[in-house]
Amino acid sequence: MPEPALRLAGIEKHYGATVAVAGIDLEVQDGEFVTLLGPSGCGKTTTLGLIAGFFPPTAGEIYLRGKPVADLPSFKRDIGVVFQDYALFPHMTAAENVAFGLRMRRVAPGETAQRVKDALDLVKLGGLGDRRPLQMSGGQRQRVALARALVINPAVLLLDEPLSNLDLKLREEMRVEIVSIQRRLGITTIFVTHDQGEALVMSDRIAVMNAGRIEQVGDPAAIYETPATRFVAEFIGRMNLFNGAVTPARGVRLASGVEVALPVPDDVATGTAVHVAIRPERARLTPGTPGDGLALMGKVRRILYLGAAREIHLELADGERGVVEVRNDGSGLGFAEGSEVWLSAPLANCRVLPVR
Amino acid sequence: MAVAAPARSGAPSHWLLVAIPAAVLLVFFVVPNVLLLSASFLKSEAQQLTTTPTLDNYQFLFTRRLYLEVFLRTFMVGLAVGVLDILLGFPLAYFLVRTRSRFKGLLIALSLAPLLASVVVRTYGWYIILNRFGVANDLLLNLGIIEDRIGFMPSTGAIVIGLAHALLPYAVLSIMGSLNGINPNLESAAMSLGANRTRTFFSVVLPLCLPGVAGGFLLVFSIAISAYATPAILGGPATQVAATAIYNFIAVILDWSLGAALAVVLIVSSLLLLYGAARLGANRAAL
Amino acid sequence: MSFRRWRANRAPWALLRAFVIFIYVFSLGPILITAAVSFNQGTRSYFPPRGFSFRWWERAMAPEWLDPLWFSLKLGSLTALISTALALPLAFALYRYRFRGREALVALTLGPLMLPTLVTGVGLLQLFQIVGLRDYIGFAALLVGHVVICMPFAVRTVTISLSTLPPNVELAAASLGATRLATLRHVVFPLIKTGLIAGAVFAFIHSFTDVNLSIFLARPGEIPITVKILGFLEFGFAPTLAAVAVITLLLPLVLVAIVERVSGLGDFIYGDRNRA
Repeated sequence: MPEPALRLAGIEKHYGATVAVAGIDLEVQDGEFVTLLGPSGCGKTTTLGLIAGFFPPTAGEIYLRGKPVADLPSFKRDIGVVFQDYALFPHMTAAENVAFGLRMRRVAPGETAQRVKDALDLVKLGGLGDRRPLQMSGGQRQRVALARALVINPAVLLLDEPLSNLDLKLREEMRVEIVSIQRRLGITTIFVTHDQGEALVMSDRIAVMNAGRIEQVGDPAAIYETPATRFVAEFIGRMNLFNGAVTPARGVRLASGVEVALPVPDDVATGTAVHVAIRPERARLTPGTPGDGLALMGKVRRILYLGAAREIHLELADGERGVVEVRNDGSGLGFAEGSEVWLSAPLANCRVLPVR
Repeated sequence: MAVAAPARSGAPSHWLLVAIPAAVLLVFFVVPNVLLLSASFLKSEAQQLTTTPTLDNYQFLFTRRLYLEVFLRTFMVGLAVGVLDILLGFPLAYFLVRTRSRFKGLLIALSLAPLLASVVVRTYGWYIILNRFGVANDLLLNLGIIEDRIGFMPSTGAIVIGLAHALLPYAVLSIMGSLNGINPNLESAAMSLGANRTRTFFSVVLPLCLPGVAGGFLLVFSIAISAYATPAILGGPATQVAATAIYNFIAVILDWSLGAALAVVLIVSSLLLLYGAARLGANRAAL
Repeated sequence: MSFRRWRANRAPWALLRAFVIFIYVFSLGPILITAAVSFNQGTRSYFPPRGFSFRWWERAMAPEWLDPLWFSLKLGSLTALISTALALPLAFALYRYRFRGREALVALTLGPLMLPTLVTGVGLLQLFQIVGLRDYIGFAALLVGHVVICMPFAVRTVTISLSTLPPNVELAAASLGATRLATLRHVVFPLIKTGLIAGAVFAFIHSFTDVNLSIFLARPGEIPITVKILGFLEFGFAPTLAAVAVITLLLPLVLVAIVERVSGLGDFIYGDRNRA
């Protein structure tokens, strides 16, 4: 079994009484693109900083290609970092910026010049090497920052929300480019973002973080289809969560009284409060009772027009709220605000989640 | 400078606004300096200014050994004080800018607080420390390091220490100003690329704050060469600098011509230095 | 955290911190020593002080010292007032309007900062003598001189606070029916108040602590405290001086502390070199 490119073992970071990172274990294989995803303050940027070596962990160890590096300062680690604000050296040209890491590694000038040129070509900035950061657009600066981190061939590439300062179109363009470059070079990459759309599109695996811990790690489909906790379920995409409790028959009895035969993990005791989770786009709305599966009655409160779809907000019989997304295929809905409808879904689309 | 509203054409209202202040400055600042300039080119006899134009005054100053020594001493003191204050001020400025302590504001205030005391008061502290029966001598005697008291003052060295102490806050202010403009991520970026702390400092931090450092140096230099109180207190007749010599000319010997000439030399030197400082300060890089 | 980890990551900063402590000791030491010496029992500058006595402080309260102190306070306050009053229209005009001669006016305004105050003092002395106003040397001449060298500080702070006015605020006031005068009174003035106060404070402190200009324009009976202390030093040492020195430090300190609490001075400390 080859050494993982990066392994975090029990990493913690405390600032006095504040706990920024409460205990992280993670393994990243060679060439993987792993995203640390979470809201502000969840510790993802701190974790990145720990991997980069900008500050030492309070506890735990970090292994880069099997080598423990937590005691090493940043300049002794084989990493490349792209900062959110790019952090380009304003007194150097783009080419000099990119060459900096090679200079520190005492690469011969001839080879340096060649590698810098290749790196700038890779990020589609060939010929702009003599410009200064001040004279470049945001998108161009971002590419220079990327080239600077890549040219040194780091064992791990670390990206700290590099796209958040770009406008929408540019952001979408850069997402694709970054992934394609990463695949081409095969560099192990850790990407930090709060944008779940970005995470889903770019990653091989996503680690969803909350309050200094990783709540779930998995590939995008696993995270989206089978979220392990309520937090993950609600953070990625939208999720309906209906209250219920575990029945003696090991099913779930919803607050409205309806019973559904959803599989409940063995270690959850009977009577425990749980959620039944269903994605809005996996549910349907019907005028009358559907067959089997999940079925809840409610009244349409609001219909939002999203262009490619419609979002229907319901108030259910027991006071809970529900959301269903209906694709806009040109035909009408068949009901309006105030109508009574049934929210239904096949049991296969539903999951049981702990209440936390 | 931003102009928030276009100049209203045909409205001399701005002249109304500036008339009095400008007049005050013209009469009580420009005119006296012009008088000085002209006095420097006039001969003095029996402690009275005549109206005879002459270059003798400047010739006197630049040929007499005594005054050449004064120039040299003034210059060296300025240089030494400037260098010392940069060496002391930079670490302090860097610390104040980068520290995340919750006492940051207090620490900055503390570093600038000495400015609230008149230079006389601050120099007086050094008088207490450095004089023959002062704190330094007492300490050294008690520790057995010396047997006889040392005459730390009056001396040029004492002047340098006193001035370096008095002008340190100016250097700190200037350097802090340019350090503040440096993105802290730049240092992390350099380190992530393999530069250890020394190389990061010389390759990234120093080039970017050099304008502030150089500007601070020139600022301190220019104040030091025109300092009066500190050289007067910590120095003596044998360690004259430009300011004390001017005082001597004007208030003691009553030779206005020479005093004026020396003052003009001081003006020109200060202007040159401050011009350099302003140029450097104004060219701060910001990204 | 292991020692190795600490040494690699934290040690450099700890070293810097140690050096910084040394610099603070250098910077604040002489002042603290002066304060300590003022409580000495004997007539020498013992440090650590021997015995404890208020007698030098009592001596510092004599008219010999209180008169110059009061003189400096009067002078400083008047200087601050006049400087700020003159600086306000000047800063306003320079900031708001473009006109021929503006650059020259800026240079004129900054001039007193560029030239040694010593020289301004000599020049003013000469002016007063030549024009035959010898009798006004003393408070009047000092006031004039101090206003000249303190005005730039007030101009600077007022300019800074003018620059913090949100761009459309005056237009908004006009659209709501305010005349030019009302806008100035209700919108502009409150927003630049802190700049005015800061300017007055800096002008006061600069005047209160000035010595280079004052030595030329003082006369017996009309002596600022700094000149008095300087003159006294010619006679050698006396702990009374230490007590007086501490008083002249405490006054501006208390003033700054109060104003900082009430109005805020922090924004004006850097003074902006890119402006004016």
